[in-house]
Amino acid sequence: MTAQRSTSRLALIIWGYIIWSLVPVVIAIIFSFNDGRSRTVWQGFSLRWWWQDPNLSVLQNAEMRNAIFNSLVLAVATLLIVTPLGIALAIGSQRMHGRSANFVQGLTSAPLITPEIVVGSALLITFTRLLTAVPLGFVAQLLGNVTFSLASVVVIVRARLVSIGASFEEAARDLGATRWQALRFVLFPMLWPSVMASLVVVFATVIDDFVITSFLSAGVSSETVPLRIYSSVRGGATPALNALATLLVIISFTALILGLFALSTWRKRNGERGGLRAALADVTQMEN
Amino acid sequence: MGRRDFLRNLAITSGAITFGGSLLAACGGSTETESGGLSIGTPQNPIKLPVTTDAIADGLPNESGTLEILNWADYQNPDSIAIFEEKFGCKVVTSIYDTEEAAIAKLRNGTFKPDLILGMTDTGLAKLVAADLLQPLNKSYIPNFGNVISGLQNPYYDLESQYTVPYFIYGNGIGYRTDRIDKNAFAGNGYDTLWDPQFSGKLALLDSYRDTLAMAMFRAGNFDANTTDAAVITKAGDDLVALREATNPKVDILAYQELPAGNRDINFTWSGDLFTALQYLPEGVKPDVLGFWYPDKTIAKNDFMCVTKAAKAPVLAHQLINFLSDTDNALLNREYVGYQPALESITVDLLISSGTIPESLVDALVTPEKYDAGIAQVSLEPQADALWLEQWTRFTAG
Amino acid sequence: MLFGSNSGRVSPQDKLKKSPRLWAGFAFPGTIWLIALFALPFYAVACIAFGTIDPIFRDAVPQWNPLSWDFTQARQVLTSLATGPLRGVGLRTIVYVFCAMTLCFVVGFPIAYFLARHAGKRKMMLLVLIIVPFWVNYLMRMLAWVNLLSVDGLFTRFMRIFGINYNWLDGSPITVTLGLVYGYIPFLILPLFATLDRLDWRLIDAARDLGANSRQAFRLVTLPMSRAGLVAAGVLIALPMFGDYYTNDLLSRSPSTEMIGNQIDFFLNASSQPQNGALLVLTLSLFLLLLMSFYLRSTRQQSRQVTR
Repeated sequence: MTAQRSTSRLALIIWGYIIWSLVPVVIAIIFSFNDGRSRTVWQGFSLRWWWQDPNLSVLQNAEMRNAIFNSLVLAVATLLIVTPLGIALAIGSQRMHGRSANFVQGLTSAPLITPEIVVGSALLITFTRLLTAVPLGFVAQLLGNVTFSLASVVVIVRARLVSIGASFEEAARDLGATRWQALRFVLFPMLWPSVMASLVVVFATVIDDFVITSFLSAGVSSETVPLRIYSSVRGGATPALNALATLLVIISFTALILGLFALSTWRKRNGERGGLRAALADVTQMEN
Repeated sequence: MGRRDFLRNLAITSGAITFGGSLLAACGGSTETESGGLSIGTPQNPIKLPVTTDAIADGLPNESGTLEILNWADYQNPDSIAIFEEKFGCKVVTSIYDTEEAAIAKLRNGTFKPDLILGMTDTGLAKLVAADLLQPLNKSYIPNFGNVISGLQNPYYDLESQYTVPYFIYGNGIGYRTDRIDKNAFAGNGYDTLWDPQFSGKLALLDSYRDTLAMAMFRAGNFDANTTDAAVITKAGDDLVALREATNPKVDILAYQELPAGNRDINFTWSGDLFTALQYLPEGVKPDVLGFWYPDKTIAKNDFMCVTKAAKAPVLAHQLINFLSDTDNALLNREYVGYQPALESITVDLLISSGTIPESLVDALVTPEKYDAGIAQVSLEPQADALWLEQWTRFTAG
Repeated sequence: MLFGSNSGRVSPQDKLKKSPRLWAGFAFPGTIWLIALFALPFYAVACIAFGTIDPIFRDAVPQWNPLSWDFTQARQVLTSLATGPLRGVGLRTIVYVFCAMTLCFVVGFPIAYFLARHAGKRKMMLLVLIIVPFWVNYLMRMLAWVNLLSVDGLFTRFMRIFGINYNWLDGSPITVTLGLVYGYIPFLILPLFATLDRLDWRLIDAARDLGANSRQAFRLVTLPMSRAGLVAAGVLIALPMFGDYYTNDLLSRSPSTEMIGNQIDFFLNASSQPQNGALLVLTLSLFLLLLMSFYLRSTRQQSRQVTR
């Protein structure tokens, strides 16, 4: 076979894949604008499932609004805790040495190779039997999501620490800065891209999270959007469910775009190479 | 260092540093196990359940704020709830449960903390009482209690109705699509249709181990829905495994959505689901596509409403029980839920004359005669329960 | 990202290494957090798994003292996994994950390869398009397929044109496996692309110049060079797939496609016997640990071979 033919065959596969991966989602989004009750048979365009219907539309239904609110609160609260915790852990674990360093690094990467269902059920058992002071619901979901996303913050920040190296801080120390000043004025500002990237990654992870949030939920008061979708997908739910899912996609992408924008602005201002490609690599946790 | 030592050290150090208090509390609490068995009432041996606390006092004001309900999905009319909210100036939120066992487990471990539980039946009542999760009712808040079907005002499972007020009544049978299955298919042993490979992939059973295993027992001619006979239970498990291999069934409680949507042809389910299903019919589909086979010998029962011991709004919970026991409110509630309210005034004739019930579903209505002929289904002693669950796991593990 | 080498380790003479207390202090809060909410929970699971059973509720009673752990129930569950009713579940899980993984590689590798090697100017645009599903909620993507595959769904109606009348959502192993592929493939393509993108393609060109045909160059140069990345990417999606239960629940909900995750979910969330759930969680964790150690050993051997 000639190189030409195999290349065009590969191109065919890639376009096929893109269509296969995106078209179902696009169709689901389109059906949120369906005029009828059906999520499968098109009956004309309308906005009734977005806001026109006073009880059932996504923006007017109390339970759906509640789910959106819960999702956002959970994601933001997780960010507030996991970001400082993760940055500190990344710096500490990268610079410790000896056996304790091995222990900390092992402990930090263990959640990355543990399926969510294992973390979720272990935490469920812990909160109902051992640490019974933690009530199921928002608090438990928050602790669970912080635990599960801590590792990704550490990975992202540690990668940045590695690429920065030690020379900048050493130079600052040589010029008379204290250790703390070197950290505060040299290292921390340079960590910004990784902090931005972890904010975006964690936000998206938490807002999409199903397993942990579901295992640790306590009824309707802590129902998030993915839980709502899960419990009603197979039933006779209206296209408002599609609208709800679409809203979740919009929220994720808004966060992503804001994050990418902030990243590339920072990079440009600080004269770092990269642009969109590097920013994308950051937020997809790809090595670059 | 061995793994055990490691774990112990880990627990000791981390527990001491962080959550020492609650760890110790949990350790202390875990050793206590209640002794004695369950208080199980049967039609032959009705029971007056033990009471450990007093009911709330008479004439308390309604709480302001939120009333939390624990209920099955789609088992209360949102319009009825809205009226109640307006009338009592409160907010009602609802959490959902899928099976009684899960609900009880989650009530015990604190996942659910509702004020009011709807739709529980006496298969779960003994455990609820043993776990001391309920509070006795103060009937002075429930003048409508007199509307309840007279035979259910002093039920065998809860003499003097100390804890419970009946909610809906139903019987177990088979819902089907009349456009795909002929009525005569159920002529012989009607249950056999569930084992018929021609319905493979279009068939579902109830996700309720007590109901579905009992169904398999009835098919085999054993009509004790509370049997402790290991051989009978195992046989039912074997038969369900055979059913699974023959027809690849789904196991859920979605008959009321999936039958009208046309996603399945036949579904072992609760009779009331078929009336719920009416409003899920796609536009342009006639209601008589839904049919129900009501076996001669089957389980017929009621579920009930009860107030939790830890209720934060016990007065509102009583008020909602009273509200739903009012005839007009119950009829409005039925419009959405579909099931038959357990009220004396809401007779089968009244429902038929309302014109909402197609000819094909008249058989799904529970008449007083059918109710009386129904097989009772009560709580099981733990050892027998374990046998039932073991067979159920065998079936659902595929 | 996951199994990257620790190339970031700086030399021991590095000045920054000189204040171990400070760095330990930085790591302290996060470490305590993970001990309390990641390590300790495994102990709690073990205490439930090897505890006793409440005589009335059949609920698990935890045994906090490992010296008095009771292994009766553990033996029963293991027997059930080996020969009893759970055997089918375990085997099915492995088969589904294996098939889904294979399909993911069959589809994902050419895509990553094309993207890294031949995409040219369109590389950026294609990369963005491929990253999009990565950012669409998993349940949203499943919801999309549930809509398409239901009885009057677009896909079902489309297939009917070709005379294929299939109940996609009624306990079909095909649907579940394809659902897993659809769900997890974005998480495979990206790391694969990252691996292939870093390859030194000059080596492959050199192989071609030395007379290897494209197939030989692929087999003898590309594959060995990207092997570690391939395996890492495979592990990355295999782990969550082994614990998946929601894909199955949404696309099938039939006992005949029940996976191990469904059983864990059932025992812990929908039954009165959490002890069985805890035992299955431990079994799954041990199984995955075995897979991981196998993987780590094979990569270590491989790197030894390379350096030889």
